[in-house]
Amino acid sequence: MSTKRSPLIFNVLAECATSKARTGKMILPHGEVNTPVFMPVGTQGTLKGLLTEQLEKLDLQIMLSNTYHLGIKPGVEVLKKAGGLHKFMNWNRCLLTDSGGFQMVSLLKLAEITEDGVKFESLNDQKSEIVLTPEHSIEIQNTIGADIIMQLDDVVKTTSPDNARIEEAMFRTTRWLDRCLMAHKRNDDQNIFPIVQGTLNKELRTASAKAHMERDVRGFAIGGLSGGESKDDFWRMVHLSTNILPKNKPRYLMGVGFAVDLVVCCALGVDMFDCVFPTRTARFGCALVMTGQLNLKQKTYKLDLNPIDKECDCSTCQTYTRAYLHQIATIHPVSCHLLTVHNVAFQLRLMKNIRDNIVANTYPQFVQNFMYNLYPNQNYPTWVVDSLAAVNIKLLSI
Amino acid sequence: MKFIVEGITKCAPRLGVLKEIERHPNITLETPMAMLYTRGGSIPHITNEVFKLITTKSQIIQIPLVSTYNFEDVMTHYNGTIAEFVGMKECISCMTVQDPGDYTQPGHHVQDLIPLWTRHGKVLLNAKLYMILVELFKPDMYYFLSDGDTNIASPTKRVNKAVQNTVKYYKECIEIHKNSKILKNSFAMGVIAGGYNLKARKDCMDVVCKIDSIGGYLIDGLHNNGPEVEFLCAEEIKPVVEYIVENLHHTKLKAIHGCWNPVTILQLIKLGIDLFDTSYCHIVTERSCALTFSLDLSNTEEAFELNLRQSQFADDFRPILPGCACLTCVKYSRGYIHHLVTVQELLGPLLLTIHNVHHYTKFFETIRECIRNDTLRILEETITKQFNLYQNGVKEKRDEDEELNSTEVVRDEVNRTNEDNVQIPLVPTC
Ligand SMILES: [Zn+2]
Ligand SMILES: [Zn+2]
Repeated sequence: MSTKRSPLIFNVLAECATSKARTGKMILPHGEVNTPVFMPVGTQGTLKGLLTEQLEKLDLQIMLSNTYHLGIKPGVEVLKKAGGLHKFMNWNRCLLTDSGGFQMVSLLKLAEITEDGVKFESLNDQKSEIVLTPEHSIEIQNTIGADIIMQLDDVVKTTSPDNARIEEAMFRTTRWLDRCLMAHKRNDDQNIFPIVQGTLNKELRTASAKAHMERDVRGFAIGGLSGGESKDDFWRMVHLSTNILPKNKPRYLMGVGFAVDLVVCCALGVDMFDCVFPTRTARFGCALVMTGQLNLKQKTYKLDLNPIDKECDCSTCQTYTRAYLHQIATIHPVSCHLLTVHNVAFQLRLMKNIRDNIVANTYPQFVQNFMYNLYPNQNYPTWVVDSLAAVNIKLLSI
Repeated sequence: MKFIVEGITKCAPRLGVLKEIERHPNITLETPMAMLYTRGGSIPHITNEVFKLITTKSQIIQIPLVSTYNFEDVMTHYNGTIAEFVGMKECISCMTVQDPGDYTQPGHHVQDLIPLWTRHGKVLLNAKLYMILVELFKPDMYYFLSDGDTNIASPTKRVNKAVQNTVKYYKECIEIHKNSKILKNSFAMGVIAGGYNLKARKDCMDVVCKIDSIGGYLIDGLHNNGPEVEFLCAEEIKPVVEYIVENLHHTKLKAIHGCWNPVTILQLIKLGIDLFDTSYCHIVTERSCALTFSLDLSNTEEAFELNLRQSQFADDFRPILPGCACLTCVKYSRGYIHHLVTVQELLGPLLLTIHNVHHYTKFFETIRECIRNDTLRILEETITKQFNLYQNGVKEKRDEDEELNSTEVVRDEVNRTNEDNVQIPLVPTC
């Protein structure tokens, strides 16, 4: 048993000499992942209408799936019979699953959190009460079989004013982590990541990170952010967390995926991200570009015979014009597939640029140019200026 | 473009080839065949990237004007063809007026104008307006404007008006076509209207079939398009189709569009029809079903069609059709597709479309092989037997459901609203 390779090997390959940015390689049971990495979200065992063949062509290395949704449908029994999600959905590369807790709390208004777990009334059957315990979450995630799985955490809104509740949630998250680690049955081929909690409270977040670092784990998630707090608070908590967390293990910032946030948080030393935004916005007819997003339904694109992005080498930009996408966006499902391909390609290209610049030791210049292109009038948001200054990157003023 | 047909017997199954296509000189297409149904210029659910993953064979895409009418403005600025604009430049395009996969609302004629029910409301067309659009789209093939708004129940007055309109459009369209530099390489096809009235059909053919330069004809006006066409009985359409084919020159390409079921397709092929479309695959996919009728003459074991919504498929990890070489069957299981269609994920209809179009294309390949080997009768017997078993099953289920006072019958699923009205499902907040 002991001779078996660890299910997570993480090597930092290059570090930015100025900021905390780093690039590395994570080797997981289903393949390699180059970090910093963006993981698109395939909630129900499918990435929004794309064939896994297309995802491989995009060179996607890892995607996220949601335990809460998969636990309901197709359900644990079917996944067990299928031999796990990889086989079920025909995806041979890496997967990460969340714990399901966050989605219950955000999807089900009636969810109630107790020491036992997250309690909610089942929507399907006759009103029966169901409790998602840390053990149950891990059991489902063991059946799904993702390369990285998440502990069940006690989530409090970052905007909550209730200090006693915040503190309770932070300590409970650590207690639940221990229960998750105890319940974990596939430690040889699945990695549990603990989640650093503590909302916007420095002391609590520090305590949470330190407590989790005492456990035998192979990576860490920074949770409870990106939930409506101010950007000023947000970056400080990320900065604080990456300062504490060990350098030799990957750090995953949950729920973050806007281009600006990715560029800043990579400078703060984050290695992994996920967000539904790129795939969701595609369904509303929006395409991501370096300067923001294009809403292709707008009349301005009616006669625009350019591709979404001349620089993009995705199959959509190689074949289709903005004018055609304007005609079909939000009307025909094909448009959703086309925009999803482009948006995922956009995120992956951004991350590759980030990695390449870290390797070349040009990350500070990359950040400067990126922000300058995004804000040509140099009206940079304060939080961007401050967060980058905290890691010694000064933005251009020309 | 040239159409060359083997054999000279009228009202008999026949093999032919379409070749010397000006924009695609290296492509030869064999008939009988089905052109690929599109909506808004795309095969439903299939992007160009996926299209290239699933086929390397040359195909015709059918471009119904009713779902592409709004491209008019951009096409006036665009130098390319409609096939290029919709991202399918490797395909041969064929422009049709109505959408065979979608019910065409009858009536609402204004004098001699044809109503076109676009997403943005009703548009009235005459030959001149129509030909402007054809010149903008520059299709490889197209039909002249016609009045196909007739069906088996149409009164004589409507039928006669349909013929009168179609004849008038024909005369105007052919004049414009002859003088058009842009369309000199487009294969134009005449249209025969007139419902189920043989006299009316003859009146139409007397004018439309006079000129020898027309390479082919569409037999229009048999139905009002959409899913109902699947249930039309071959016996009802046979006399009129037979009559038309008898009176058409055998060298001409003959097309009939609509979501005909495979049994009716075989009857039409036996009458000498060459060209169809894949709109049937679309309506089958829309009801979450997969075509599995047997193409192997020695095997009658398979069901005619599988409804992937049924819970029996939840843990069935076999392919839709064992032995099928399509991407869906090679890589994905019934259980996975069941999951996708029950949670309304877009990949579900995509995988079903890949299989259904593949199977339907194979069906036409088999038909051609059977014509060559003179075994079409065996194929017909095999498929008819499966179809009848399936239909009886559907009927029994319907009767049972009616007994149980349930309103959820299979017909309802068939009549589900078309995809244009179905909102793209949203994922819950994550
Ligand atoms: Zn692109
Ligand atoms: Zn298949």
